[in-house]
Amino acid sequence: MVHPLVSIRDLKLEASTNRGVAHILRGISLEIGRGRILGIVGESGSGKSSLAQTMLSFLPANVSGVSGEIVFDGVDLLKLRPSEVQSYRGRRIAKIFQDPMTALNPVFTVATHLVDVIRRREPGLPRKEALRQAEAALTSVGIADARLRLEAYPHQLSGGMRQRVMIAMALLVRPDLLIADEPTTALDATVEAQIVDLLKSLRQELSGSIVFISHHLGLVAELCDDLCVMYGGTVVESGLVADVLVRPRHPYTRALLACEIEDDAEGRLVSIPGEVQDPVAPMTGCIFAPRCPHVVEACRVTVPALRPSDSGRAACIRFEEIA
Amino acid sequence: MLRYFFSRLVTTVLIVFGAMLLLFLLTAVVPGDPAVTLLGPQASPELVKRFVSEMGLDQPIHVRLWRFFANVLSGNLGVDVVSGRSVWSLVLNVLPDTLILTFSAILLAVVTGVPLGIYAATHRGSLLDNVLAFVSVAFIAVPSFVIAIFLLLIFSIWLDWLPVLGAGRSGDFWDAARRLILPTLSIAATWIGFIARLVRTSMLEVLNEPYIRTSRAYGLSERMVTYKYALKNACIPTIAVLGLGLGRLLGNAVFVEIVFARPGLGRLIYGAISERNFPVVQGAVLVVVVLFVLINLVVDLSYSALDPRIRRDGAGGSPV
Ligand SMILES: Nc1ncnc2c1ncn2[C@@H]1O[C@H](COP(=O)(O)OP(=O)(O)OP(=O)(O)O)[C@@H](O)[C@H]1O
Ligand SMILES: [Mg+2]
Repeated sequence: MVHPLVSIRDLKLEASTNRGVAHILRGISLEIGRGRILGIVGESGSGKSSLAQTMLSFLPANVSGVSGEIVFDGVDLLKLRPSEVQSYRGRRIAKIFQDPMTALNPVFTVATHLVDVIRRREPGLPRKEALRQAEAALTSVGIADARLRLEAYPHQLSGGMRQRVMIAMALLVRPDLLIADEPTTALDATVEAQIVDLLKSLRQELSGSIVFISHHLGLVAELCDDLCVMYGGTVVESGLVADVLVRPRHPYTRALLACEIEDDAEGRLVSIPGEVQDPVAPMTGCIFAPRCPHVVEACRVTVPALRPSDSGRAACIRFEEIA
Repeated sequence: MLRYFFSRLVTTVLIVFGAMLLLFLLTAVVPGDPAVTLLGPQASPELVKRFVSEMGLDQPIHVRLWRFFANVLSGNLGVDVVSGRSVWSLVLNVLPDTLILTFSAILLAVVTGVPLGIYAATHRGSLLDNVLAFVSVAFIAVPSFVIAIFLLLIFSIWLDWLPVLGAGRSGDFWDAARRLILPTLSIAATWIGFIARLVRTSMLEVLNEPYIRTSRAYGLSERMVTYKYALKNACIPTIAVLGLGLGRLLGNAVFVEIVFARPGLGRLIYGAISERNFPVVQGAVLVVVVLFVLINLVVDLSYSALDPRIRRDGAGGSPV
């Protein structure tokens, strides 16, 4: 079997706050296969962005502890020095951010953003040639009048347009791993559909793996091969998208799916009853126990391990019973 | 950009007109008969009468106002009643001294303050950062002319390293430069710390912006992130605050000129006020006002050159 591109093992991230230690990630284990698209879903606050940031070694200022490993193509990124991590960024790993309104520098043109990314890969490339590549990248993300848009400043572009520019930046890197953290959440529904279509059509160009983070199971079903469901800084279920969405085993995944279906029917947002896990609260037993409709006493005592199910892996001691 | 420039130009002209009106009213309502004050109580009534009609003081106020505006706009700032020379030539005579002093002070403050601010922002909590925090607060509280007096005492009188007074008008460049050092330092001292603090604050703010994280996520070197992507953003609020402070800097220069007995607009105005030489006060203050609004105009325009968001039109067209 080929080694996965990334394998994360027991990743923990803690930060000190004035309410106490926040357990942002509570032992994440997952793998990202080569050339595959992994969808990560979970409610707001489940730690998706924190996981993505940690994969780029961007730790919060108040971080008080990181442990576990993030093995990227045989190298544990957490053990690298800052300058070594930097050599991965923009070469082998690239990221598309959630909010395109703030992710581009307001006082530089689109051209400057793109040319600097190109020159990072090929230092000393003549500006003319870099501009030609930048223009081609804009065209390939579906921006008409690419030459004119190169001279535009971010505030002159719509949100969807800016996100296309971000995708063009990522394309220029041709990374082994592209992390897209909710790339469409800040956009309206039609633009969202366009961007997802674009990402789908670019799969050939981006030969590497993609991590696609979303709240939205529908988008993930459309785009991804693998799925990882996060809750309270843990992975509660993982497997092939086709399997997990058809046979969700963890009660949290089921609840998420139920919300999605109801949303579609009535056109408004339905959420899972109960409060999202507070990262400062200690974890005894299953993290989802306080909100789980199937909870029994045993759930509150031991932390359930991720174990094989008929649709992948799930972290629930009762998934056979409640299936 | 062009439209923005013209709208700024119109405001500038309006400000200058307002200042002219104020200056005119000020000299018109100041107590005491200017003719008597100037010519002295011994002057003969014929002399006073000739003086009054020469100065146009016997005309109704709206005529005087009209004349004042017409004269100024045709480049005539009036005549010094004491020496009989034109005010314009008096001003031109000392203007270079004030400009050189002001600009060398700004230059010194910027070329030392900006790097210090960047260093403090990128090395937070370092020794230099703490020293800077302390020194800048200490200096901001001390007026320039106090620093001027101390520098004068230490370097000119006690150590005898640098010449004391004047601008060194012999056409000797090195002498003039040496005499510029202490006045420049006394103005710049308060500004170095001030600019460094400004740059540090806005730099720290900018370095936390999401777009800086984007630059880092794409592996751009820390140097490029700091000096290219962050600095340009950090300059915008710095220039805005600095622009507001430039008027104060011109004021600092005026006092420092008096302490060092340097020729300049400050000394000219100071001398004219003590002599109640109204045309000179009017003319010289007007030139200071015009300088002030011109500096602000330049600051404003460079601000919009740096920040594309406040330019109205440009490449790329409207949002799509
Ligand atoms: N620096 C920090 N200090 C303390 N707590 C933090 C910090 N960063 C994140 N958290 C907490 O960790 C949890 C996970 O945050 P994160 O942003 O990773 O969630 P998310 O899944 O990306 O949510 P969203 O869908 O809203 O983007 C949240 O409860 C958040 O409040
Ligand atoms: Mg997030």
